[in-house]
This record gives sequence, structure tokens and C-alpha cells, in this order.
Amino acid sequence: MTTALILLLLAVGAYLVAVIEAWTTSGRWRLTAPITAGIALLGRESIVPRKSDRVFFEVAPVLLLISALIAATVLPLTPDLIITDLATGALFINAALVYVLVALLMAGWGPDGAYAMIGGWRFLGQLIAYAMLIVMPVTAVAMRAESLLTTQIVASQADLWNILYQPLGFVLFFVAAMALAFLPPFDLTTANSELAGGVEAEYSGVRLAVFRLGRLVLVITLATTTVVFYLGGWQGPWLPPWAWSAIKILAVTALMLLAGRALPRIREADLLNLCWKLGIPLALLNIFVVGLLILVWP
Amino acid sequence: MIVGARQGKLSGLRQLVAKAMARELTGFLVPGLDIAHAWGLDVEAAGVRLVASPRHASVLLVVGDISPALRNAAAVIYAQMARPRALLVLGTDDLSPLPSADVTAELSQHGLIDGIAQLRIAFAEGAFRPEVADFDAPMLHVRVEYTCPMHPEVVQDEPGSCPKCGMTLEPREVSANDVDTHPHETHDHHNESHGHQHESHDHPHEAHGHHHETHSHQHQAHEHQPVDQGASVEYTCPMHPEVVQDEPGSCPKCGMTLEPRKAQNSQAHAHASLDHSEMDHGDMDHSEMDHGGMDHGEMDHSGMDHGDHAFMSMIDVTKDLPRSSDGLPMDWIDVPFGPFFPGLPSGLLLTLTLDGDTVAGSSARTLAENVALLHHSALEPHSFVARLSNLEPLAPLAYRLLACQAMENAAGIKTTAVAAHGRVGALERERITSHLGWLALFGQQMGFDWLLRRAASLQLKFQHANYQQIMALKPDIVSLIKRLRRTPLLKSRNAGIGRLAQDNVLRGPVARAVGINNDARSTNPVYTSLGFKAISRDSGDSLARLQVRLDEISQSLALIDATGAIEPPEPANIGSATGAGEALVETPRGAAHLQLTLENGRVVTAQLETPSTRHLTLIDALIEQQSLGDALLAVGSLDLSPWEIRQ
Repeated sequence: MTTALILLLLAVGAYLVAVIEAWTTSGRWRLTAPITAGIALLGRESIVPRKSDRVFFEVAPVLLLISALIAATVLPLTPDLIITDLATGALFINAALVYVLVALLMAGWGPDGAYAMIGGWRFLGQLIAYAMLIVMPVTAVAMRAESLLTTQIVASQADLWNILYQPLGFVLFFVAAMALAFLPPFDLTTANSELAGGVEAEYSGVRLAVFRLGRLVLVITLATTTVVFYLGGWQGPWLPPWAWSAIKILAVTALMLLAGRALPRIREADLLNLCWKLGIPLALLNIFVVGLLILVWP
Repeated sequence: MIVGARQGKLSGLRQLVAKAMARELTGFLVPGLDIAHAWGLDVEAAGVRLVASPRHASVLLVVGDISPALRNAAAVIYAQMARPRALLVLGTDDLSPLPSADVTAELSQHGLIDGIAQLRIAFAEGAFRPEVADFDAPMLHVRVEYTCPMHPEVVQDEPGSCPKCGMTLEPREVSANDVDTHPHETHDHHNESHGHQHESHDHPHEAHGHHHETHSHQHQAHEHQPVDQGASVEYTCPMHPEVVQDEPGSCPKCGMTLEPRKAQNSQAHAHASLDHSEMDHGDMDHSEMDHGGMDHGEMDHSGMDHGDHAFMSMIDVTKDLPRSSDGLPMDWIDVPFGPFFPGLPSGLLLTLTLDGDTVAGSSARTLAENVALLHHSALEPHSFVARLSNLEPLAPLAYRLLACQAMENAAGIKTTAVAAHGRVGALERERITSHLGWLALFGQQMGFDWLLRRAASLQLKFQHANYQQIMALKPDIVSLIKRLRRTPLLKSRNAGIGRLAQDNVLRGPVARAVGINNDARSTNPVYTSLGFKAISRDSGDSLARLQVRLDEISQSLALIDATGAIEPPEPANIGSATGAGEALVETPRGAAHLQLTLENGRVVTAQLETPSTRHLTLIDALIEQQSLGDALLAVGSLDLSPWEIRQ
């Protein structure tokens, strides 16, 4: 029952993300656009390039969708609305999201096209940049909660949300989450003007629809993760918990989608430089500061 | 009805789908966004979302007259699009080899909106049809040629073995005619010339050296058999060539799945090569690391009989592969960018040899080449002026002015001061328009969506604005420039990219960005009387070019303010003058020079030099060893116009 409800909520969430994304690119609110666009995609041919690696080509979009869905299973929307409250929840999210990389590499290799292949390898390079910035801020979050249970992490923010308790960690995690969801300005793997769509370039029809759905669910999953880890999850006055979760998740999603529109795409070399030379020392500093705070202000 | 309908009856459910498709049209623009903007079109405002990959497009939108080479390239794009697909054509009727247009309209925003409305109806009614026609065009045909996996320079039409290493040549498919006309994904065209009606369309080209060996083997064995027809198939282990059997299965020694190959009497000879080529790609780096200290060149490879050995040394296998700058041998692939690549000037075909994400080599040429200036016949002044301004859709007024001035000089006519001021106003307005158009394209290239939209909308406003309208737009320009100064990442994205040294090839803003004070306006008395002083920067990189163009936009605004008039040039009445004359006009891309001779009031010879022709030669050195993103940005920052390139 909970599972069905959460899947339904994710579907609604993906729809809303699509609406927001359409708004950020066209400046217009079109509530039916995701639905008609989806139907239109389903009605079109889904071409398989002839020399494709058929298994990789077919599996990649589905794997992207599944990895985002699996990560969502350990995220609480209210104290009770969670599919499985794993004891290793915070780590499990990481483990599930690693398959995003696998999916994109497969999508890059599968179609036997140069643009797609470069896009796939680029994402591997991107992983090296963002991966540590996902794990290290989460470490600091778990330190404060003294638990990897996601519900416990939300509960630990009852007095003060993590965005205020460890703002540095929030910024790093948010940036890394955007890179993981290959949102602009980190869209090196799908860059329209460098790779004509990159890993997406060869997909069409129903396979493209699945790929895009996977991306939308990934964005909503990452927004939810951000809310759970840093924005106090379902907590908030007056409104019921589910409403707070919904408001926060949509706000984070909108922020993620809007940020990239006002920025040029980052260079791959700059991304690696920033993440390793600046991001990782800052993440270490964040862990240290949080450790100190826990000691002096328990 | 649309020509590229998808097969199927228009049943109840499909009607719904067709209606959804009609609402959500996605378009691929030919020749490109820059040209659409130059014609004053705003495609997204008209309701078609533009996409970067032909696979995602349902409409091929052709804007204006394009050269035969571009039409061929457009046909390949069309063939890659998923059905149902439609063809919307504005302002031209010469389309061959594309199929006939589903909707034609006039070349204006109004025509575009009309055309899209018609197209929506056509889509809703005709997206599915029980009978569909195949699209076929000569450039989609392929032939099979044979090449050595290790020596790409060995290419022949017949199967055989490599004269250098004795390996069996591998078949690959290339275009039946000119390979270079492939615009988008040379190796992977959606090809219907084979007449397939099922969902998995074939994509016959593998014109570059990008081998996914495993696939091509399966492919040869199971579906296509381009060479092996008639030969029986046997199965062998890639690691243990002595294992051969008639049935598929796994290797008794290592458990690997046996690979099919054609049976042959001289089998050890013929097939060792296939197996090795499969192995070597994964292990190439390895061999280099292990044996890096050995002097391969000194080893006597010729004494080894490669063909008869079941095992081939990794040194041999990789020794002739090109080396990257870091010394590692990798498969290099030739990837075409253009002529319709989003973010690059439309009509430019840039072929990059990629070594991973690094550009190892490049070639650039224009496919947009326009007609000759004179068709071996003398031209009336008016038609000569029209021809020259049609030559360059991105800066028609500047070329119009060039033609007028050259003819006036030849005929010895002086223009009035008022007319000269009006011409300055018109030329400067075009400079603003052109620079804004470049900014939009550059924004697209950087993935900077806001800049693309903002610059494009300003460009459309400036295009035909009069003096008062331009002055009213001034605050918008000021805020655009201010916003760009504050944009994070913009500086780091551009600083140091595409750095040029001082070189007398350079013209226009590209020259001024390296500190060369090359500006034809500096010697023009009208400009000097207005207090004109050329702008320059000295770092010579993409950032400097951006800054110079932004400064020039402000400067042009000030010049228009000072002249107070905008008067597009009109050819003077030259009567039956005879003589020679030349003119130099600073177009938005740099100084263009025209030399012509008149005979009895008609133009008999004309010689044109344009800045983009010179800048095209810079590309190769500019982007070598750059990463792909930087290389494309560097090319983009030159603001080439493929339309004015004279090859």
C-alpha cells in the first residue's frame, strides 16, 4: 500500500518536475504539456541503430529509471510514509544512485554513435568529480543524527535544520546532486551544443520516453534527498507533514532546474578542479566543524 | 497527410496520439538558428520546440534557399528522423533530394506561424497511414569497402589481406558517393533505402574508425552478411583459435561464448586477425605500459609471420596506431560537427578527429557556398547589388554597401554627406544585429539558455528598428552587458580558450581582440568626423573576443546616436560609366574588400575578399589538442560566416 502510494506520488512528482522544467525553458506554464509530450513520444518510432549493442541500448533507460526509483524507497515523506526504513538508508541512497552512472555509460556505449559514446565517458569523468561530494556531506549529516536511518536524520533536525546547522554541507551536496542528475550547468553528458544530445541523441520514441522519465524521477529523488538531509524533511508548523514535504521538494526542484539556465555550461576540467581542489577540502572542513559542534553543543 | 507518415491505420487511439503529436511539434532547423534569426524568425515563439538531435525531431524546418550540398546534408538529417516526420519549408522550392514539402510558406514570422498551423492539421489527420513511402536518396546509399584494422590507410574495394601486415581486411560501409556531405552522424544514418518497414531501421554508415568490434561481428553473422554470403558459418573461441565447431556454444577451455565466422580453408590465416582486433582494444594501454621502454622501431617485425600465428603480439597490434600527446595509443574517431550543428555557424562542416575527448586533428569547410558573383556575364548594377547582399544573409546590408561603394568609386560618383551618415547608421545597426546574433549562438553553444533567448529577442527588435526605436532599446543593451559581466562561470569558461597570436590573417573583432588595430572605419572620413576610435583588447582569447564585441555594440549605439539617421544604401545611378573601382567596408566580421570593373554601366568583373575566408584557415591550429568543448567554443568565438566564405 505504502509502495503503491509512493510510486503514485513519484509519478505526480515527475509530472510536476516536467511542468517546472517546461516553465524554466519556455517561460510558460502549460499543465498538459508533459502528458501530450509523453503521448506524442510514445506514438513515434523508436529507432534502434543497426550496429547497436542491443542489450546495453535497451537496458540503459530502464536502469536509469530503476536506480532512481530504488533510491526513493528509503526516503520518508512523512514519519510513516516510507517504503523501507533501512538501517543503512543514507548509504543505500548512494549505492542505488551509482547505477545512474552505469545506465549512462550503457546508453553511451549502446548505440554505437560517437556523440553518445563521448557523452557516456564524460559522465564517468563527472562521477569522479561529484561522488565524494555526495558521500562526505552525507557523512556529516549522519554524524549529527548518529544514525543512517533516514527517518532518524529528519528527526535530528527538529531543533535546527541542517541547512543552517551545516550550510557548507548543503551547498556541496546540492551542487553534487545537480551534477549527478546531469542538470545544467553540469549537463556535459547530454550537452546539446557539444554532443547534439549526447547519451540521449540516439534514443527516440518509447525508449526516449523511458529515458526522460528516468531523468525526471532522478531529479525528484535527489530533491527529496536534499529535503530529507538538509531541510528537515516533513517538519514544519501549521501544515500537515506531507504538505511540507511536497512544498520543500518542489522548491528544491525548481531551484535545481532554474540555477543552470542563468549559467554557461561548466568545463569538464574546471568541474574536476573545483570538486577536488575546493570541494573535497571544504567537505572535510564541514565534517570537522560538525564534529566540533556535536562535541561542544550536544 | 504527411509524406513521412508512420505506418498504421488511424484508429481511435492513434487519432488521440496524432493529436498529441500535432500539439507537441519538435523541430530540427535547417540551416540553423543563426539564419532563422537573421530572417527575423522566432521558431519557438511560433510553437515548435527546437531539438539538437534529428532523432528527437518531428519536423524538419528548412529556412530559405540553401546550396545543393546543404540540401544533401538535410536529406541525411531527414532520413534519421523517426516517423511520423514532416517537412516544413519557408521561402524556397528547390528541395531535391528531399521529398516534396508537406507545407510551404513564405519566409516571414507570419508565414512560419501559418505554416505551423497547417502542419498541425496535417499531423492530426495524417500522422498514420496504412501505406507509407520509403525515402530514398543517392547519398543514403552505401557500398562496402575493405580496410585493415591496423592500417587505416589500406582501403580497397575487394576483400583480401593487408599488404603491410597480412591481416584479413575488414568490411565497412561507406557512402556510395561523397563521404563528406554527411552532416550529422556519418556512421549511423537512418536509412530506408533498404526498404525495411519494421521498427529497427538500419544505419549503414561506419565511415569513421569507431569500432565496436563485438557488435560488428554479431552483426555480420546474424543479420547482414555483406561479404559472407554463401559461405558456411563456424564457431570459434576468441582466445583459443584451435577450438572450432559448427554449432554455437561455449569454449571447453575457457567457457567464453564462441564467435561465428565464415568457414574457409585457409582459416588460421584468415581469422586470427579478427580475433586479435577484438582483443587489442581493451589491452592497448597495457601493452604500451609493459613495453614502453622497448624500442619498437628497431625490432624486426618483418621477420615475424603474423598471418600464420594464432597469437599476435600486442606491440605489433598497436605499433601503428596513432599516439596521443600523452603517448597512449587510442582509437581515433572522425566525428562530423555540422553543417547543422547547434551552436556552430550553420553551413560550416567541421570534422574533428577525436582522441578520446581531445581534438587530434580537424578539417573545416563550408557547405553553404553561394553562387558565383558573376555568371560569366555582365550584370546590371541593381542585380549586382542584390546578388552581393543575398550572398551573406547574416550581414546583407554591409555587402550591399560594399557593392554600392565600389560601383560609385568606379564611376567616380561622390555621395552626399547626408547619405554617408545614413549609411553609417545602417551599417552600425547591422553590426549590433550581427553581434547580438553571434551572442545568441554563443549562448547556445555554452549551454547558457538565458543569453540565447535574451540576445535573440534583442536581435529581432534591432533588425529593422529606426533611430527612435534603437535609442529606446539602449537600456536593454546596457542591462544585457551588465548581466554578462556578473555571470559566474562565464569568465572561466572563456578565458584562455582559443588564444590567437598576432597574425596578419586576422580581421575585424578577432583581430582587435589580439590588439591589432585593424578597422576599415578608422580611415573613413565620416567615422573620423564622428570621433570614431577602434576598440581593442590584447589577450586574444575567446573572452577578449566576447568583450570586444560587447564594447562594439555600445560603440555602435553611440555612433548611431551621433549620426541620427539610418538610411540603407541604394545604388547610385552610374549611367553608362566605364572604369575600375574598389571598396573596403568593415562588416561585422571584419573588413571585406571588393574590386570591380564597369563597362558601359554594367559590372563585368568582380573580386571579393571576405574576413571569414581568412579566418577559416585558423581553425586547425586553434583547436588542436583542445578538449572537445573548448574546441567548439573556440570555433564559435571566431564568428565565422560560412555564407561569405569563398573557396
